[in-house]
Amino acid sequence: MSLLDPEVEGGAIEALYARGVTDGLPVVPPTRERVARAVAACGRARDAVIALVPPNYGPATVEKIAVNAVMAGCRPEYLPVVIAAVEAVCDEAFDLHGVSATTNAPAPLVVVNGPVRAALDINCGAGVFGPGWRANATIGRALRLVCVNVGGATPGVVSMSTLAHPGRYTYCIGEYEEASPWESLCVEHGFAPGRNTVAVLAADAPLGVYDHQSRTPEDLLATIAASLAVVSHHKMTHWGDTLLVLSPEHARIIGDAGWKKADARRWLWERLQRPVRELVPGKDGGEGLPEHVLRKFNDPATETTLIPKFRAPENLKLVVAGGTAGRFSAIVPGWTFSKASALVFRPIHTP
Amino acid sequence: MHDGVFFEDHGIPTATVISSEFQRAARAQADALGAKAYQTVVVEHPIQPLTREEVRALADKVYDEIVRRLTA
Amino acid sequence: MSEYLDPTASVAVPRKTAPRSASLDGKTVTLLDISKAKGDHLLDRIEELLRERARPKAIVRKKKPTFARPAPDGLRTEIVGATDVLIEALAD
Repeated sequence: MSLLDPEVEGGAIEALYARGVTDGLPVVPPTRERVARAVAACGRARDAVIALVPPNYGPATVEKIAVNAVMAGCRPEYLPVVIAAVEAVCDEAFDLHGVSATTNAPAPLVVVNGPVRAALDINCGAGVFGPGWRANATIGRALRLVCVNVGGATPGVVSMSTLAHPGRYTYCIGEYEEASPWESLCVEHGFAPGRNTVAVLAADAPLGVYDHQSRTPEDLLATIAASLAVVSHHKMTHWGDTLLVLSPEHARIIGDAGWKKADARRWLWERLQRPVRELVPGKDGGEGLPEHVLRKFNDPATETTLIPKFRAPENLKLVVAGGTAGRFSAIVPGWTFSKASALVFRPIHTP
Repeated sequence: MHDGVFFEDHGIPTATVISSEFQRAARAQADALGAKAYQTVVVEHPIQPLTREEVRALADKVYDEIVRRLTA
Repeated sequence: MSEYLDPTASVAVPRKTAPRSASLDGKTVTLLDISKAKGDHLLDRIEELLRERARPKAIVRKKKPTFARPAPDGLRTEIVGATDVLIEALAD
């Protein structure tokens, strides 16, 4: 068939790059046949509108999502996950408009829960944020292409992130539910066990936390708290949803001591509070509490009132992922200052 | 940009003040919405490290342009 | 490219800008603060200049809840119903 002629395909790859509809890497040319196969695999009408994608509010039909998923290299059976992720980022609470336009660096991180992880071979284990798994690599990439091509988030033109980060190529992990001492992220947020879901977080790059020596929850959480303290800026307060990705070994230290996720969250939240006097602008950096907060105190420079780093313990989201060997965890900071983005869930509808 | 285009669509002359680094983004966004005639008022980037007085001086600089943008 | 499907979705519809009057005399001017830090300083000074140099009927100050999103529908409707012109600042 002429469409699979290597020269024709090569020309299409170049033409798609030249049109500005790729992420810079070669894409799979979205032939009518490939797109039709992906649409058929999701069992939904091709012209069904899943969401309007900010900032252009372009209509993401099933077919439009499929075109981008094919380009990203998705297998047809991944499409339901991509569709759920598109729905999730277009939820008002996610603020994709801000996420796509801001000079900050957020990229939507997709966290997958449920049996679909095994069915599609979505990596939850060793190298979870890294390369090597087609599902992780292409589902996250498909979401990016939808944001750019349907949403209009052209990098450097409308999408004005100063630095961005590599998660803007792809950013998709599974939770290693089988290695977790606790209920999964989606069950914790009200979904029945066994449901397939995506959660999306407008997220910075993962920050590694190394701790090989701690053997109690208190020791390990003290390490993690010190790294959480620098999210955004060391004097930033009232931050919102942020993901803590615990490796199975780290999770066991906390779980084996009988601690629930809520206990760890509460411990971290209480630890992550600082007196006003340490948060004033000009002390350890020009940043600091905003004027409207400083005005509440007579003498901020000596004020001892504690201000929390995170708005509530519930903003600290815990998942277990990564290889079963290694005492490493990661903090994935959310782009979640007040009235900005929040973690959003959607069920995955498989045919 | 969406706000400005919305208000113009609804008959309200609008002057949106942006910093110079965002001119291209504003143009691209307005064009994507079809608002080819929409114009912004530009002040020099950056804003965030400026003092109150420095920001007020920017207002003096662009006031006439704002009025021109809002009138025939 | 005809055998390949288009990954983009255009939303452009031809739009016109609003008709302008000759001056701001007798007009209600709304100053919309997008809630980015320092924008209020700029708008404070613009308000002073409007009072000194133009003869607006009224100057109304409004504020978006956050610069990270478009203005909420309620605020947009409220402004449209109660102003002649709008100045929005400061996106940086």
